[in-house]
Parts: sequence; structure tokens; C-alpha cells
Amino acid sequence: MRAVAASAPRSRGSATLWLGLLLVGLHVAVALLTLVWTPYDPTALTGGRLAPPSWEHWAGTDRLGRDFFTQIMIGSRIALIVGISAVAIGGLIGVTLGVLAAFATRLLDDALAATLDILIAFPTLLIAMLVVAASDTASLGTAILALGIALSAIVARLTRILAKRVLLMDYITAARTSGTSRIGVVFQHVLPNIWPTLSVNFALQFGLAVIAEASLSYLGLGAPPPNASWGRLLQEAQGTVYTAPIGAIAPGIALVSLVIGVNLLADGLRDIGDPTRRASR
Amino acid sequence: MNLLSIDRLNLSVDGKPLVSELSFSIAAGERLGLIGESGSGKSLTAMAATGLLPRAIKATGSVTLGGQLVIGAPDRMLDGLRGTVAAFVFQEPLTALDPLLRVAQQVAEPLRRRARRDGRDLDGAALGREVLTLLEQVALPQPERIARSYPHEISGGQRQRVAIAMALACRPQLLIADEPTTALDVTTQAEILKLLDTLVRERSMALLFISHDLPVVAEIVERVVVMQRGVAVEAGPVREVFGTPRNDYTRALVAAAKAFDDALEGRA
Repeated sequence: MRAVAASAPRSRGSATLWLGLLLVGLHVAVALLTLVWTPYDPTALTGGRLAPPSWEHWAGTDRLGRDFFTQIMIGSRIALIVGISAVAIGGLIGVTLGVLAAFATRLLDDALAATLDILIAFPTLLIAMLVVAASDTASLGTAILALGIALSAIVARLTRILAKRVLLMDYITAARTSGTSRIGVVFQHVLPNIWPTLSVNFALQFGLAVIAEASLSYLGLGAPPPNASWGRLLQEAQGTVYTAPIGAIAPGIALVSLVIGVNLLADGLRDIGDPTRRASR
Repeated sequence: MNLLSIDRLNLSVDGKPLVSELSFSIAAGERLGLIGESGSGKSLTAMAATGLLPRAIKATGSVTLGGQLVIGAPDRMLDGLRGTVAAFVFQEPLTALDPLLRVAQQVAEPLRRRARRDGRDLDGAALGREVLTLLEQVALPQPERIARSYPHEISGGQRQRVAIAMALACRPQLLIADEPTTALDVTTQAEILKLLDTLVRERSMALLFISHDLPVVAEIVERVVVMQRGVAVEAGPVREVFGTPRNDYTRALVAAAKAFDDALEGRA
């Protein structure tokens, strides 16, 4: 029975892993490339306004005549920065809170859990908007911080439940009886054992953060104009979507391919990270 | 001096008593059996000995482990006693091992900690050698292969040997074995029992053996405490308690074991 269970996700796992690697790798490569080279200067007016795709301008030009493909490429960099930093901030706060709640006394745990539930009841975007509104300058940094804080509640709740389940396992008791301290148990057993589930959730959060940043930018609360965030490109394309649909389609495809890629990658990595899912040697 | 002495221990959850007025002690090198049906409070008593009761359970009375009062002591103080004074082997060998760590890593952890407590560093090749030595001492076949395996890749009996190796790695003065053979098949049971017996004698460790299985306990310990519904109903040397049981419950236990033996030998 184990052989069947182990072999099925394996073949599926490697396919998702490779596709995920390909998509994410492409975005990372493009993002790195923009640091040293872009087809055109992103702010230079290089052609007619709203020109359709051509050999000179692969995705046409925007309403000011700037090369659109260049802006999409720079958008990759911004999306990756936003996704990674927001998940890092949310993960750090969320995992810490979640583990503390799992160890806390009944009363404190209930209070924390209730607070988290209330926070989660608000849409992530709304919390992020509140945080951005509270700090009166709209910048990429503020948007990232806001998204990180908004995501941390979801991470904290998941961590709390996962950690509680692991803490009930005999190997935790065994470790404690042999003299492992509480902190030692967290780093040696709890975090590694909740990591496979947590990492998949981080991938979802990454996608959420990228989309939420696009939404914030779309609403004018994210990265201010010189930053070619996909959300802002979508917003700018709004008025011209019938005359130049490429303005909405291109950033949309970029956004979707990155989010799907990260999810596939996380799925594939989880299958590798869990020895019971691997076929035995 | 007693390694573990429990004096009038009471355990309760929400006012409902789980263990009442339990007293016994174990001296260095002594082997004691704690017998009773499931739910009689044996395992809780063992956890109380190291101060690792679930938070919901209230403990009163006195528990002294290695000269240190356990009930009411801060966790940090008890961490130092755990492993060094007493180490555990549990019932369920699958869940007692972390599924994500190779056997070598699991055994290395208590070894390294014990070395650190003794004030020396144990790392790299030296640590690897000690892990293999321990795996050999618990009579695991092909220790190199087992060391590289994950828990799900080895058998139940082998896992229990690994769990025993982890307890031995702590070099405790007292080994607490909580139904260590219950989850195993009969032939493996006998092997594990023999192994525990040998190891405890060789290292002149004290042993607290918890079980519901009378013949198993009789084989390995010198004294027994019989528990029923959280109360010690009878205590004394094995021969005395099982030879001339005074309490009804003990008599029933002995009779059941005898009936089983008779049935096996076709005398019934």
C-alpha cells in the first residue's frame, strides 16, 4: 500500500516541480536581466502612442509611447520583491505568533486565536489598505509591510493548528523526556514537521501578495508611478482596453504565470521535502 | 538515596481524581514494575515523575527525582534532570520517532546533549561512531543501513530498538519503560524484553517498567506496585505479590494470566 501511495505523487510531483521551476525561473531570469539590460529605457518615449505589437515593440507601446515589454519585464522584478518580502515578513510574524499560541496557556491561546479569527475575517487587501492609509506615504516599502502584516494572521492561525498537532506526537514527549528544552523542540521537531504544509501555504501567500500588490497599485495605493508594477500597468490600461487590449492582456499573463509557477514549485518541493512521500531507495 | 521517590501523589483533572495517594520509590539499580489496566494512571504517574504532565492535570504531593523536587519546579531546572536522571521508552515505536529525521540524527541528538552536559564536545566522525556503537548495542542488524533509514523504512521491532538506543544515549540512572512491548508481536516482545533486561543489568540502571501484562512484568522486575483506578492496591516483591495475592484485583490478574497459560498448555 505504501509503495502505491509513494509512487503516485512522485510522477505527478516531478512534472509540477519542473513546470514550476520553469515558470519561476523565467521570471527570476527576466527580473535579474532588467538590472543590467532592458530592450529600451523604461522612461524613454520610443514610438507612437499605443502602438500595437511589432518587431520593434513586442508588446506595443503605452499611452505615452514607452516600450510596454520593458515595463512588463521590470514588473517581474517588482512582483518578486513584493512577493518574497511580504511572505518573509508575514511568515516571520505569523510563525512566531502561531508557535507561541501553540505553547501558551489556554486563556492566552484562546485570546490569540480569537484575535486572529477576527483579523482573518477582514479581507487581506482591506487590512493592507488600512495599513497603507495609516502611514501617509504610498511607497513600495509601505505596500510590502502592509501586505506582510495582513498575511501574518493567516500564517499564524495555520502555524498554531499545525504546531498543536505536532506537539501532541509521541516524539515530542520523547524529546522532552530526554531533556530537550521547549525551544529545542520547536527548532528540531515542530518547525521541520510543519514546514511541508507551511511552505505550500507560503506559495499561496506569495501569489496572494503579488495579486494584492497589483490591486493596491491598481487603486493607487501601491508602488508610485515610476515603478512599473503589473497592477499599475493594468490600471493604466483600463481606459484603453478596447483600443489596445495588449495593455491588459500582457501584464495579466505575466501575473498569472508567476503565481501559478510559484504554486507548482511549492507543490513539487513539498513532495521532495517529505521522506515518506519519496520512493524508498 | 532514592533516584525517584513519589510520596502521596494525587493527580486530578477538573476536580476528578486520576491518581490518589500514590507512594513508591526506586533506589539506584532497582527494578520496579507498575501494573494495572489501561486508564489506571500508570503512564500519568510516569509523566509526573519528570514533570511533563499535560497542563490541565493538577498534581499535589511530592515527587523527588534525583534529589530535586519536581512538582512546582520551573521547567528549565527539570530539563537538566530529564535524560540525565531518567529517560523514557514509550509504547508506540512508530510515533516515538520523528518521521522526518534519519535514525542516525535522532540517536545523535541525545548523545550530543549528554556529551555537552558532561562538558565535552561530540561531533562529526566521533559522533557517528558512537551512534553506530549504540545501534549495535541494541542488537540492530546492519547498523549502517538502519542509521541511514527513516523511521517508516524499518520494522516496528527495529524502531523500538532505536527508541531504546535513544534512551540509552542519555545514559540515565533510571530507565522508565512505558508499555515498551505492548505494540509489538509476541516474538519481538520477547526479544525486546530480553534486550531491556540485559541492558539494564549491564549498566546497573534502575528500571521503572509499566505494563498491564503480568508475565512480562514478572520476568524483568524485582518489586511491583499494582494499580487500579488510580490507587495502589498492592505492593511488594514479585514472588510475594503474584504468589500469594492479597487483593481481589491482583488475584483476578494472576488468575487471568494463569488461565491463559493453562489454555496454552492444554490443561483447561
